Amino acid sequence: MATETSTSDGGESGRAGLKQNAKYYILSYPLAWLVFVFLAPLGMLFMFSFWVHVPGTGYTAGFTLDNYARFFTSSLYVQQLWVTVELALVTAVVSLLLGYPLAYYLARIDRPWLRNVLLITIISSLWITYVIRAYAWQVILASRGILSSLGVATGILGSHQSFYPGYWGLVVGMVYVFLPFMVLSLYSSIRNLDGELLEASKNLGAGPVRTFRRVTLPLTKNGIASGTALVFILALGAYVLPRLLGTPNQRTLPVLIEQQIMSESNYPFGAAMSVLLIVVMLVFLWALIRITNVSAANIGGAEGVTGEDETSTTSGPGALSGLWSRLGGVVAATGLSRVYGSVASAVSDRVEAVDSDTRESVIGTSFRVYVAAVMLFIAAPLGIIVAVSFTPEEFLTFPPGGFSTRWYVEFFTDPAWVRSLVNSLTIAAAAALLSTSIGGILAFTLDRFDYKFGSLIGTFGVLPILVPPVIIAVAFLVFFLQIGLTGTRTGIIVAHGIFYAPLPFILITQGLSELNRTYEEAAMNLGASPVRTIRTITYPLLRANVVSGALFAFILSLNEYIIAWLLSLFLVKTIPIQIFNQLRYSYPPTIAAASTVFILLTVVVMTAINRLSGGIWE
Amino acid sequence: MSGISLQDISKRYSGSVLAVDDIDLEIESGEFVTLVGPSGCGKTTTLRTIAGFEKPTAGTVHIGGKDVTDAPPYERNTGMVFQDFALFPHLTVHENVAYGMEADGGYTDEEIDARVAEMLELVELPGTGDRKPDQLSGGQQQRIALARALAPKPDALLLDEPLASLDKKLREQMQVELRRIQQEVGITTVFVTHNQEEALTMSDRLAVMNEGKFEQVGPPGDVYNEPETRFVADFIGTANIFDGDVTQTEDGYVSVDCGDVEVESTATRETAVGDDVSVVARPERFNFQSSTDDDRDENVFTGEVTFRRHLGSSVEYRIETAEGREVVVVRPSGLDEHEPGEQVTVSVDADNCRVVST
Ligand SMILES: Nc1ncnc2c1ncn2[C@@H]1O[C@H](COP(=O)(O)OP(=O)(O)O)[C@@H](O)[C@H]1O
Ligand SMILES: [Mg+2]
Repeated sequence: MATETSTSDGGESGRAGLKQNAKYYILSYPLAWLVFVFLAPLGMLFMFSFWVHVPGTGYTAGFTLDNYARFFTSSLYVQQLWVTVELALVTAVVSLLLGYPLAYYLARIDRPWLRNVLLITIISSLWITYVIRAYAWQVILASRGILSSLGVATGILGSHQSFYPGYWGLVVGMVYVFLPFMVLSLYSSIRNLDGELLEASKNLGAGPVRTFRRVTLPLTKNGIASGTALVFILALGAYVLPRLLGTPNQRTLPVLIEQQIMSESNYPFGAAMSVLLIVVMLVFLWALIRITNVSAANIGGAEGVTGEDETSTTSGPGALSGLWSRLGGVVAATGLSRVYGSVASAVSDRVEAVDSDTRESVIGTSFRVYVAAVMLFIAAPLGIIVAVSFTPEEFLTFPPGGFSTRWYVEFFTDPAWVRSLVNSLTIAAAAALLSTSIGGILAFTLDRFDYKFGSLIGTFGVLPILVPPVIIAVAFLVFFLQIGLTGTRTGIIVAHGIFYAPLPFILITQGLSELNRTYEEAAMNLGASPVRTIRTITYPLLRANVVSGALFAFILSLNEYIIAWLLSLFLVKTIPIQIFNQLRYSYPPTIAAASTVFILLTVVVMTAINRLSGGIWE
Repeated sequence: MSGISLQDISKRYSGSVLAVDDIDLEIESGEFVTLVGPSGCGKTTTLRTIAGFEKPTAGTVHIGGKDVTDAPPYERNTGMVFQDFALFPHLTVHENVAYGMEADGGYTDEEIDARVAEMLELVELPGTGDRKPDQLSGGQQQRIALARALAPKPDALLLDEPLASLDKKLREQMQVELRRIQQEVGITTVFVTHNQEEALTMSDRLAVMNEGKFEQVGPPGDVYNEPETRFVADFIGTANIFDGDVTQTEDGYVSVDCGDVEVESTATRETAVGDDVSVVARPERFNFQSSTDDDRDENVFTGEVTFRRHLGSSVEYRIETAEGREVVVVRPSGLDEHEPGEQVTVSVDADNCRVVST
């Protein structure tokens, strides 16, 4: 394409009209943030894990392996490591089994409005803080909670009973929280599937079950693999759910890390466990890639179909999705698809006897019921929070015995809640600006100029969001301890700003790659200087991407708990922190009101993003 | 107004493609010059070099007598019309047309408004100022793109296949329109197209390009009637081309042996016996011969009519000789009708043939 020319000539031919050195000046801004404020804390975390804990006063610099030795010589810690991994695996597998039919339904329905409603519901719940969502399950699972009340009312339960804290209560909560990620991964992969292929298969006489097993399932392996890997990694780093829904037996690594930092003030040991968590993740990823390479041959052509689309973005996100799609064969290896296959063939054997019309309608109906149930599982908990927020009573009861807005009045008049709300909004707004400046400028420079290590820097740009938040939190904590930023809003803003920079980076990179360069040439041909061109043409054409990126960062920062909590050192309170703290002591319905306000805020912002981008979910 | 001068321009892309290979072109003030050639021959690269989007590997570009080789695009004062129009989608028609003057900074709001109105008048779309580009048809977008390019009074108008995306009828209408506007404004114009008909109908002069070089530069009539190379003869219009080697040169005539036939032609270039050359004869220079007036023996072809089509004022025949050579003949309509399948004899005067380099 003729319009690509001057990128390769660099500044010389004057597309952007910038002098040769300018490209390094501009790159230095995002790079400085990423190196000095992202890599440096991680490096320091590593260093800290070898420092010496001094009970009472804190720590001193030095070199010791005691922190690691302590972990591995204690059977308790090693066992908790296994619990962490097991929980993440169970969450991933259950999410896959629940999520696939829903994703399939979403991808195949021919009523756009219904699809939009369902997608918005799934996606909105995705951003709402884990704290509120764990709280929702407490309300459902508690003794005298919804499940228990229903059980007693219908006579299934003899007396009230609590379903949490405990292993299965925790799994339910984890699946609830991570299922949307799975559904969205699968959805995009099933959407990419060529409808004609399915038609062709049906034409050749394959029944729905056979078509699914022989055509759909193999062709969506990529989505299955990336969804599973994504959920596994997210679950591995989860702190809030195990903390709020699990018993001390389910203290996962992130919970233990937080405990060392906030209760024991043992920073070196907390750092060592953080390093171990990273190692576990890397080992897992490495294993996946190894397995993938082995089985890549078996997958053959099917891989390319879905892989192509994902890797078409530029270096950064491309590297990421490249990684994801390389995980493609993992599922075959772990046998997940075989599980599905055998279930499907069992079903198909069972119904073989019946005539085909009845068979289709039986399958169709049970499929729809199943999808509706999963959808209910995703949507109901937040609905329940909204419902109970209007209770007139002092304590949460179910069903609520009336209607009242007293807890909203309470929320908006209590100085502690209002202060948290102001904190939350201020931090989120500032973090969004910082993220957008880092991610946006990085996207722009990588798109417009050639650098020796361009694709490496691009990968670097998406790295922060891949690190589990609890590790970001500890890394920034030890970093800020050195420069005196702990316990301040600025500290949280900086940490969030870096952590969420990949979102604007990815969105703006995508916008730039879709931007028709001829518009910029036309502007310069009409006499506009490079700066004027960017201001009057480039930016306006990219605005939807820039604003969406900023809003994503805003909403994530708003809902973030663990980083804010560790960096606050008890001094700064945001809404998630405030809710979490209250959950430890009592359950005033103000929490439900606060949650409802927060959910509403999130939904409004998400809808705005969707409007702006003209249906980004598609 | 001002001319454009390209001197020894070469452009090699960072791979290895020599897209433009040492070309020279002097364009006079107010002249309409068309660069025509097959896709990939370097037309766009040449145009973008004039506009300043590409820096030539060698050579200089002058616009209005000023050396602009190193000037960035925004300091060259050219007006470009892009193939996909590139109207700014987020701006109204008025804002699009005003863009260049606003970037210039030397105009008052009243001057800009007046000029925009004048330009919309010129392209016959008054009153469309408030619309967005996507509310216009393809032909209208084309006119607005032209108005936008002309509004800041550029020294030269550059057009890169501006009509390629329009349907045939609209394209022909726009050809006339574009030429009218160009003459009305009197602006130096470089037009790029791969369509030889378009090049012939629109230009004062055309430059036929092939593989980065100019094959021939001249007025449409000259290029059509007096092609200098086989490529030009073949690319511009339809031609019967006879490749062979010179067997005899005498009195300003040349005999060429083409294997199946011996062809006679005026010696339009210096040749020696044994040279590889091509003889070109345009189809409308042929005559049918009845068997009675068998008065000539040069350039006579006998064969069967394999195909006939009416072109309106003329009829085209394709005739296949016994040796398998196809001859294309175009005759005025209604003069001498022949049916497909009929055996005919056609001939062309040596004076109506040209010898060109192969
Ligand atoms: N940016 C570029 N990089 C490398 N080669 C290019 C570039 N642009 C054009 N070319 C090559 O240069 C030659 C001329 O291209 P172009 O000027 O676009 O031809 P035209 O406009 O006549 O079709 C072609 O071979 C084309 O592939
Ligand atoms: Mg071209």
